Amino acid sequence: MRFALDALTIFAVAAGAFFFLAGTVGLLRFPDALSRVHALTKADNLGLGLIVVGLLFQTEGLLAGLKLVAVWLLALLAGAAVTQLIARIAQAGGPRV
Amino acid sequence: MKGPFGLLRGTSDPGLLRPAIARAVGLGVLWLVLAGGNPVDLAPGAVAALAATWVSLQFLPPGAVSVRPASLAGFTFRFLRQSVVAGVDVARRALDPRLPLHPGLVVYQTGLPPGPSQHMFTTLMSLLPGTVPTGPAPGSGLLIHCLDVEQPITAQLAAEEALFSSAIGWKQDNG
Repeated sequence: MRFALDALTIFAVAAGAFFFLAGTVGLLRFPDALSRVHALTKADNLGLGLIVVGLLFQTEGLLAGLKLVAVWLLALLAGAAVTQLIARIAQAGGPRV
Repeated sequence: MKGPFGLLRGTSDPGLLRPAIARAVGLGVLWLVLAGGNPVDLAPGAVAALAATWVSLQFLPPGAVSVRPASLAGFTFRFLRQSVVAGVDVARRALDPRLPLHPGLVVYQTGLPPGPSQHMFTTLMSLLPGTVPTGPAPGSGLLIHCLDVEQPITAQLAAEEALFSSAIGWKQDNG
């Protein structure tokens, strides 16, 4: 049982790290500021979600699990809100990134 | 003399008290989940929860949306699935040596009224595959930046909007 949980953690956290890497590659390769915003929000949302899922298998007690999920949801909300502001500034001809 | 909640909106609205208390309790619980139950932390936690309640009542007045649990469950499931699709889509495009992108701007006409529900929808949209809202467009339009304009973006967004409207209890034909 312990081994199965550890294996699930390793798999989910590695998958999460992969999406963070892919998002960073997108940040470097995508041609303009607006496209780069896509790379960061979508890939990091999934990457952080997978890392949270992986860590849930290691938590002791409900409170620690809820805390992890709350952190993910707050990061999602902040990311989604800030994404729109950056996109709006970039679209309005703001500083080129 | 106005009651403490009268200060919130400049009126003593008794209808505001219940949602205000419900939100303060919910935000207080969120604080406890995040910070733990250490007695030293309780005072700043209470201040933070009250401040957050005040902000929440300013930006999302009670009654602006009425979440329907049955629709919300389906919506949440779809949101999680779409998050995976969005992440995989970006990862595939970023790692493909040919960099398959067709970025561009699309105007999407929304049926949601301006205000909290439209803001929530654009926030959701920035987490959906291939779309980032970049501001308003003429009429009730939203300017959307797409990674691949060859995808049927507006049809997908219309489907998402229908699900979202149903989850927050907004009927398209109301407006």
